[in-house]
Amino acid sequence: MKILLVEDDAETLAYIARGLGELGHVVDQATDGREGLFHASEGHYDVLVVDRMLPKLDGLSLLRALRAAQVHTPVLMLTALGEVDARVEGFEAGADDYLAKPFAFAELAARVAALGRRPPLSEAHTTTLRVADLEMDLLRREVRRSGQLIDLQPREFRLLEYLMRHAGEVVTRTMLLEQVWEYHFDPQTSVVETHISRLRGKVDRGFDGGGLLCTVRGAGYMLRLEGER
Amino acid sequence: MPNANPSFAVRLARSAAFRLAALQASLFALVALALFTITWLSVRGYVESQVRHAINDESAEILATPAGGLAGAVDEAVVQMPHGPFFYGLFGSNGRRLAGDLDHAPAAPGWSTIEERQSPHGDRDRHRRILVQATVLPDGQRLVVGRDRHSADELDELLQGSFLWAGIAAVLLALLGGVMTARSYLGRVEAVAAAAARIAGGELNTRVPLSTRGDEFDRLADSLNAMLERIQALMEGMRQVSNDIAHDLRTPLAHLRQRLESASRDTDSIEGFRAAIERALTDVDGVLATFTALLRIAQIESRQRRAGFTELDLSSLLTSLVGDFAPVFEDQGRPLRTHISPDLHVHGDRALLTQMFANLIENTLRHTPPGTPVELGLTASGAGVRATISDAGPGVPAVSRGHVLGRFVRLDAARSTPGSGLGLALVAAVADLHGIELALSDAGPGLRVDLDFPNKETT
Repeated sequence: MKILLVEDDAETLAYIARGLGELGHVVDQATDGREGLFHASEGHYDVLVVDRMLPKLDGLSLLRALRAAQVHTPVLMLTALGEVDARVEGFEAGADDYLAKPFAFAELAARVAALGRRPPLSEAHTTTLRVADLEMDLLRREVRRSGQLIDLQPREFRLLEYLMRHAGEVVTRTMLLEQVWEYHFDPQTSVVETHISRLRGKVDRGFDGGGLLCTVRGAGYMLRLEGER
Repeated sequence: MPNANPSFAVRLARSAAFRLAALQASLFALVALALFTITWLSVRGYVESQVRHAINDESAEILATPAGGLAGAVDEAVVQMPHGPFFYGLFGSNGRRLAGDLDHAPAAPGWSTIEERQSPHGDRDRHRRILVQATVLPDGQRLVVGRDRHSADELDELLQGSFLWAGIAAVLLALLGGVMTARSYLGRVEAVAAAAARIAGGELNTRVPLSTRGDEFDRLADSLNAMLERIQALMEGMRQVSNDIAHDLRTPLAHLRQRLESASRDTDSIEGFRAAIERALTDVDGVLATFTALLRIAQIESRQRRAGFTELDLSSLLTSLVGDFAPVFEDQGRPLRTHISPDLHVHGDRALLTQMFANLIENTLRHTPPGTPVELGLTASGAGVRATISDAGPGVPAVSRGHVLGRFVRLDAARSTPGSGLGLALVAAVADLHGIELALSDAGPGLRVDLDFPNKETT
């Protein structure tokens, strides 16, 4: 993927650029808002990673200018710790995702990957999701594996739907909390883990197709495109 | 700024109370003047008409004497009353005096006031004013009957004098009252100003003194004191937090440092370093989580989030939250009983209320042994809504219930479990923001938390 990184802190910039580079992405860098806006308008990027506080032009204004110029490249906005309302502001300005500093690199990588591989609009209207032999009917709210009906609780259904929409990608615990549970805080108990393990019990156990739902150590979870034997 | 420490007289003259009193005194003087004028005019009118009546009667009496005896009647009247108050004169058509003690006739018939240059009665003033009535008789003679104006003039003087003195006395009294009022007001205001100056100087526990009167100054002082109380509490809260941050963050940071140092000194395998780094990262994440929680509490307490309040269905929020946590309870073998009445709505911030209830639910998971039953209820109570979460765990001793809501408070029993001690502080902050009454009590055994949402109409 081709990624533009707009960040004024040299250390953070180098850290993110190196990490994304190691994952095989092409990373362009800008250290202030004006330069960032210039690059973002000119180049064709798959994802923009923009810090909220930037010299010359702040991240929110950059984003507004970009959206006003009909550039719809997905944007991941980075903010300093504790700016609780910054999330809402970021989304209002046109950000697609939001991450508070400091973050684990795996978190950033997962979110960038998710943004870069956003499904085309048509896919949002599909009524059936398929991953390996797992099938989800969004209209009838039914899940089958190898044709066999699986009974899921509403929250488990939403969790599986999210995992299936991001099949083959790593999704972090925080992404799940935000997207599936709509929690904007970090529960101290194992809500996510418990649900994942239940879902795994229902989706993977007793099927010949192999394990689909796996844990990616130090990063999160992934629904494999093919069952693991 | 004018002279910082002016004399009492200057402060008095500047005092609003004194200016008010001075204004009142001048208004009063004006009213007294008007009153005097009206009284004076009517008294004078009355006296004048009485005098005219008397002169009329006297004239009529003399005129009643048979024709030709008029001069005799006049002289007789003069002899009968040599010292006045009446004066008489009968003048011929040529103006010569025929009888009486008046020197000359007035120019015109009817009422007039004449000046007698010489006293008609030897023992009286040489110069006097006399009100006279001249009647022209059919034969051209003129009968003039008059009366000394002296008594009316005296009455005038008396009235003027008494009104003048009474007026002066009243104005002086009003000014004196003003001075006294201003003195008392100045005293009270200066007490408040002095207290404010001491507070500004750093003595935060100073309060505005109260009198026993319960007047408007005491009401003002009461509100000021309540405000000062709040400010002091906030200041102390701030200082407390700084201390807590220093203490509670220093400890994990110190551990982290020790861990990194011993790793760099004692470890020589890559696996060993990796393990040390992983542990260090966990430590750092813990510190960051504490920071996040602190900032979040601070932001909630700054009350900026009230803008994000909406009408929301608390019943469905809790039902879905319970649904999320139910598997965790199940896995740990804890019975979770819920009785949530449907369709209970409150005004609030969805994200914060979710976090508040999540914290309370997690508290029961973290601070009670596995297998402990937990109950969660939501019911309508009066015009508001009441949520209750109770567990049958070890509970919180009565003495600690007041301060477990503070930041970084961890009871001894909880020291061994991970946690920042900020969970209930956040609950308290969210509750405060929403005007929720938060009460901890004994569930016998265990802890019971009651959350009383305010009546919607009053928020």
